Amino acid sequence: MRPVELNESIRRSLAELVGYADELRDLDQALGDGDLGVTISLGANAVIESLTTLADDATPAEIAKTCAKAFANANPSTMAALVAGGLLAGSKTWAGLTEIGTADAGRFIRAAGENIGQRGKTQIGDKTILDAIMPAADALEVASDGTSGLDAAIAGAERAVVETRDLQSRRGRASWMQERSIGLQDPGATAFWRYLESWRAAESVAAKGKELA
Amino acid sequence: MKKIINEPDRFVDEMIEGILLAHPDLVKTPGTDPRVLVRADAPLAGRVGILTGGGSGHLPLFKGYVGMGLCSGVAIGNVFSSPSSQQIFEATKAISGGAGVLYLYGNYGGDVFNFDLAGDLAELEDIPTQTVVGRDDVASQPNERKTDRRGVAGIFFAYKAAGAAAERGDTLEEVAAIAEDVVEHTATMGVGLSPTIFPTTGAKSFDLPEGEMEIGIGIHGEPGIHRGPLETADAIADRLVTALIADLDLTAGDRVAVLVNGLGATPLEELYVLYRRVHQILTGLNISIAKKYVGEYATSLEMAGASISFLKVNDARLALLQAPAKSPFFEEV
Repeated sequence: MRPVELNESIRRSLAELVGYADELRDLDQALGDGDLGVTISLGANAVIESLTTLADDATPAEIAKTCAKAFANANPSTMAALVAGGLLAGSKTWAGLTEIGTADAGRFIRAAGENIGQRGKTQIGDKTILDAIMPAADALEVASDGTSGLDAAIAGAERAVVETRDLQSRRGRASWMQERSIGLQDPGATAFWRYLESWRAAESVAAKGKELA
Repeated sequence: MKKIINEPDRFVDEMIEGILLAHPDLVKTPGTDPRVLVRADAPLAGRVGILTGGGSGHLPLFKGYVGMGLCSGVAIGNVFSSPSSQQIFEATKAISGGAGVLYLYGNYGGDVFNFDLAGDLAELEDIPTQTVVGRDDVASQPNERKTDRRGVAGIFFAYKAAGAAAERGDTLEEVAAIAEDVVEHTATMGVGLSPTIFPTTGAKSFDLPEGEMEIGIGIHGEPGIHRGPLETADAIADRLVTALIADLDLTAGDRVAVLVNGLGATPLEELYVLYRRVHQILTGLNISIAKKYVGEYATSLEMAGASISFLKVNDARLALLQAPAKSPFFEEV
């Protein structure tokens, strides 16, 4: 994927993601403070706006850093800063790249997840966004092509999201609920899964558009 | 609970307002967030900025050390809780003069988390940052795990030295190395006699029966290493000084800077009674006192008690302590 295509794909997928804002808000209200819907919708729109004005010759790493900066500043919160830090860490795996392949996406996501884990002192199974990120990274890194890799990443993330329902929250505000958090689906992990789904939906709409044209 | 406050929830903001009104020549709020305070002349072009921060309730820590030759800015949290990463990031931008920013604060989980996140955000804005955490509380971890110790009053030495280095134009790497060197040679131990009362909830920070003291207690009421009947000032000083000498491995001929710090409710008179004994012990061991500070440098609201900090000095560290500084709560001329 060339930088211009990457830029367009991110924008299309984030426009899709905003449609999940209410679901994320409701999940977060049950488990946290309910601001995840706003963080995602304001953040997504801010990223779309900043990518629209980004120069065509921006590298993949520059595109990722632009996303990070816009997301962090849109609705300041711990989640926004964690995601921004993750994107920054991911962008470093793209240094020098002029095109992005499926395995590059996997490496990016892994580095982002590792940064989030390190900053938040979080491990897989703590019922956080990390639970969905790492299976997706695993799937993308070994995929033979983009379509099957994305499908496998979505399947892995979805499985992890469903599994978070049986887990007790160990990090962040949700951990204050202790055993009462069991039975509730983690909003952060859901957000990441929904983003992958948004990417697939946006790509398929774009592909249909190309067929018609 | 008897306190001179208005709305408990407005306690922190009204305290900051008071500092700004009293010292407009020294500090300012650069943006719209009252929890970000920087020196009045920030940012200083070409100079390293030093950012500190942490929970409220410890004045003069942290806000009191923003000024010439000390910290460039501070991000302020609620009582005993960390400022947000966004507040730290705003403060970072406000003090960045193009030479990078040193994060210098006490080693507590929430603060580390938020400063690290803010460092990522700063990197996105091409502001290089380095981090040194104060970790001087000898009672919080044994010497083998000294990097995990909590930060308490001894961070004052690091502010003073790093601030002087930044003021004379040292690079970010040099300022960070100086802060690290000072932290490495600083040790503190405290004694608690009565707890802090939280202004919002009225809860106590710890429980201590009448007539008892706790050696090694933290400035948020973290458990210490010895609880027992209250002893004389000399006996308390003996306990604290013995621990500090062992931890810093001080021997005859060494030089130290001494800080006898009140935790909020203990009068200055009692601090001088403590200092008297500290002075006697050190002089008796032929350890010379190169610089001394007696007063309130890091408190825990109205907690009664005191702490003693030593910085082992050499010529370089001593020169940085002696350099001029001026902030709302500290002045060296």
